[in-house]
Formats: sequence, C-alpha cells, structure tokens
Amino acid sequence: MIAAPPASAQPPPAPAPRRAGRGRELAWLGFTLPALVWFLVFTVGPLVSLFYFAQTNWRGLLSPRTFVGGQNFARLLDDPVFHHAILNSLVQLVVSLPIVIAGAFMIAYYLALRPRGHRFVRAVLFTPVLLSAPALAMIFVGVFSPSGLVNSTLESAGLGELATPWLAVESTAATAIMIVIIWSSMSVSAVLLASRLNTVPSELFEAAELDGCGHWRRMWLIAWPACRESVGVVTTLQFLWTLFSSAAIVLLLTRGGPGTATVNLSFLVYDYAFNQSKVGYSQAIAVMLFVVGVLGLVGIRRLFRQRY
Amino acid sequence: MKRTGPLGYLAHLGVWTYVLLLLLPLYYLLISSFKDNTGILTAPFSPFTGLRPENFAQAFHNATLGPALLNQAYVTVGASVLTLVLALPAAFALARARGPLGVLIERIFAMGFLIPGFAALVPTVLLAISMQLFYTREFLVLFLPASAMPLSVLLLTQAMRAVPAELEESAVIDGAGSWRLLWSVYLPLARQSVTVVVILNFLSFWNEYFFALVITGPDTAVRTAQVALPTLSQANASQYGVLAAGIVITLIPVYVVYALFADKMEGAVLAGAVKG
Repeated sequence: MIAAPPASAQPPPAPAPRRAGRGRELAWLGFTLPALVWFLVFTVGPLVSLFYFAQTNWRGLLSPRTFVGGQNFARLLDDPVFHHAILNSLVQLVVSLPIVIAGAFMIAYYLALRPRGHRFVRAVLFTPVLLSAPALAMIFVGVFSPSGLVNSTLESAGLGELATPWLAVESTAATAIMIVIIWSSMSVSAVLLASRLNTVPSELFEAAELDGCGHWRRMWLIAWPACRESVGVVTTLQFLWTLFSSAAIVLLLTRGGPGTATVNLSFLVYDYAFNQSKVGYSQAIAVMLFVVGVLGLVGIRRLFRQRY
Repeated sequence: MKRTGPLGYLAHLGVWTYVLLLLLPLYYLLISSFKDNTGILTAPFSPFTGLRPENFAQAFHNATLGPALLNQAYVTVGASVLTLVLALPAAFALARARGPLGVLIERIFAMGFLIPGFAALVPTVLLAISMQLFYTREFLVLFLPASAMPLSVLLLTQAMRAVPAELEESAVIDGAGSWRLLWSVYLPLARQSVTVVVILNFLSFWNEYFFALVITGPDTAVRTAQVALPTLSQANASQYGVLAAGIVITLIPVYVVYALFADKMEGAVLAGAVKG
C-alpha cells in the first residue's frame, strides 16, 4: 500500500511568478544604466580618486602634482591646526548630538500629545528646513554682531556690560557656532520624530498610564524604545549634518577664526584646498574626515540596532 | 495634556521658549531688512521704524541678485529635470526586475546614502576642470543629480513596486512597449512619489552652497544666489539692513513654494528622512 501523503502536505510550491525572465531582466536593467553611470562618474569616482590625491604633493588646483605616498598623513600627526580641527569637530558632535536628539525627542513627545497650539508649533519648527546654509549663517551674522540681536537684548535688559562681539572673541565663537548648529537642526528632528510617535499604538501608553506611569517615564520607557529605529535615523542625519554641513557655517560666520579657534575638519578641507594652496594635504584631511564619517555611521547603526 | 503637573508646565514653558527662540532671529531679520543702521541700533525690536525699501534695491544691485537668482533657477530646474529623466527609467526597471543583479544595483544606490559627498569636494572640482566645465552652471546641472540619485531612485522604486501586475499585463496585451508602459501606467500611478522627489530635490538644489561656491566661482555672470548672498556681508559689513534684505529676497522663492505646498513639502521631507 502506498502511503498517502499526509493531508497537510502541499504540492511543491510553484516558482513565484516573475514579471521578467533572466534574459529580459538584463534588458530591463539597461534602463538603470544612465542613472548608474551618473552616480559612478559624479559621486563614486571623485570619492575614490580622493584616496590617490591624498598621497600627492599638490599646491594648486591647476598646478602639477607628484606622488609622495603617506607623507601628507605623516604631516597630519604634528599639525596643531589639524589637531584643533579634530578636537572642534569631536566637541561639536559630542555636545550637539545629545542635546539635539534628547531635546528633539522631548519636543516630539510633547507634540504627539497634541496640546493646544501644536499645529502652530509644528509649523514654526519646520521653518529652519527651508533655510540654506548661507541664509542661516547670514541671519546669525545679525544675531551675534556687535550691534546685533543678542547685544541689543542684553542692552535693553540692563545687562549691557555682558555684550561682546561674540564671533570675534575666542572663548565665545565656538559656542556661537554650536548654537547655530543646534538652533537649525533640533526643530526638524523634532518634527520627524513626532510623526513617528504618532504611529505608536496608543494602547501602549494607556496601559502604562493605568499602571501609574507619569509622562516622564512613559516618554523614556515606552516611547523611546518604540521609536528606536527612527531615533537612529535622526541621529544619523544629525551626525552627517554636524560633521559636514557645518563647514558652511564656520566659513561664513568666522572663517575658522579668531586665530584657529573655530576650525573644524570639513572647514579645513575647504580652506586648505582653496585658500591656502595645500590641495594634496587638504585631501589627506578629507580622507580623515571620510574615515570619521564612516566610523560614526557604523557606530550609530550599532547603537540603535543592537537591542532587537 | 490631561494631567498638568509641574512637569507639564515645564514642558509648555520649554517648548514655547524654543519656539520663541526660533522666531526671534527670523523676526529680527524681517524688521531689520526695512531699517537703516540707526534704526537697527536705536530701536532693534520695533517693527518698521521708517520704512526703507531701498535696502532691497541696494541688496539686489550690490550682489547682482538678478542674474544670481536666474542662475539659481536655471541650475535648480535643469538639475531637477535631469534627475527625473535619469531616475524614472532606473526605478521603473528596478521595480520590475527582481533578480540578483537588480538587487545588487538597488543596493549600490542604497549605499549611496552613506557617501558623504562633501569629502569629494576637490576631486569634483578636478572633474569639472577635466570636462572643461569649470566655472560653469552646466557642471552643476550635471553634477547635482548624481548626489540626489540614491534617494530619488529608491523612493521611486518603492512607489513603482506598488503598481499592480494586472494593470501592466493588460497594458502589454494592448501592445504597450516599455516606454509606453512607463509613461502611461507607472508614471501616473507613482505621481505622489514623483512629487515628493521633485520637492526634495528643489529644496536641496535651490539651497546648495558649497559645490556651487567652488564650481561657479566669483564670476557674477554664472554664480548662483546662494553664492552671491554672503558677498553682501563682506561688502556691507556695517549695513545689516541691506544684508537682511538680501536674505529675504533669496528666501522668497522657497517660502512661496512652501506656502503653496506646505503639506506636501512636510510629507516629502519626512519621506526623504525616513528613507535615509
């Protein structure tokens, strides 16, 4: 007697219906060729050549270059300006990232509760997205200038003796840059996180509320883990923005000064290449910048993905 | 908030203080753009102490904002169109081909998110020189789409995957070729994502600064508005009113677009960030 197959067994699954066979797939992928070529020529190509240029002695964009191997990197080791730039970049990241992420998350939680005026708050929070780096920097030229917004405010509050030229004093210029970074990015992160929080099922919060959890504990013990992945995304964006885009803020507000007080890595790449005729050397710094960027991205990924 | 404990008040206070801190510089900018130096110094917070519309004329003239805005528009529109021309067929193909090669190509674009373009600032200039397009707007039109390609392709691919197979089959039976299929079946159904991509690219191309600075250079005939704007602060260091007027002028196009498409724009930025 032939054993009947168990009733639950299904016939072997038919191959999933494909829209295109092998050969046709290749034909289809021809459509992706222009986009791919563009991406390789204008994005990947320059990035790869960066690693070669970093090993050249090269004084001006239009002058000849000679291959010198790791010499530029050796020079980095005892360049005080580079050390200052690394330090400033790290400080900018270490100080601004936690403030922006924690602040944005708390604002997002607040918005998700839909208190009175939350629509207005959202609209205001969204406005810095629209500012270009030059517009942002120029607005803050007015805020921090000797007769600008901050000093006028101090003056009218009777604190006139605290007024200083904020961007021209070594001890305050770096803080001013940091304030611009935080001002312009915390709001956007808050809007992003708020839209994620709106999709968290409200039963989660209701159960916690019944258990007597206040807003503070609900925020950090329930909402935060629920949004873990989005927090990771926002942290990534913020990290990239702080590391790279801050160059424009530095360039337009202080040009790295006074002295070298506010130089950071991304600014230095620009400054050495275009203002100081150290093109090859600047590319060694660009490689370092790239390495810091990749390490940071990998680190952030680890931090926010591990607890699944 | 149902229960307003001390923490609740603190939250209201904190958020509204932040809102105020966001609005204050913008308010200051707007009122300063109508003032002369004396007005800014003596009455920094009062709106419109004697209107000075000539600030706008002066900013327009000093930074040659007329050509600069046109250049900005040319670069933005050119790069946006080129991005779509390149990204739409790519997304169309990726949405349909699910073999290993398609997956690989999609992954290449996904990796592109993580490439910080800024690090390649100098090699990009070199590329412009070798293409004999240094100091031209055309290089920006060619270059900017590459930086927008990963996000554009992935967002569009995702949208096109949602096109039901039956629709496609019936179109093929009716004799539609590939391009026809893309144009009359996929494109209309992916319209929403196309809008998202266009808005995101408009924002990033209009606001592009660093690459525009190093590529178009100081020449007033080709430089974009974002490059022209900061020259006002160097040339008119002592006149914030003129600088403020210049900032307002460059912001107007973006805020007009925002006013028209506020909801779409917020949705677009959210979608873009979540994909990133």
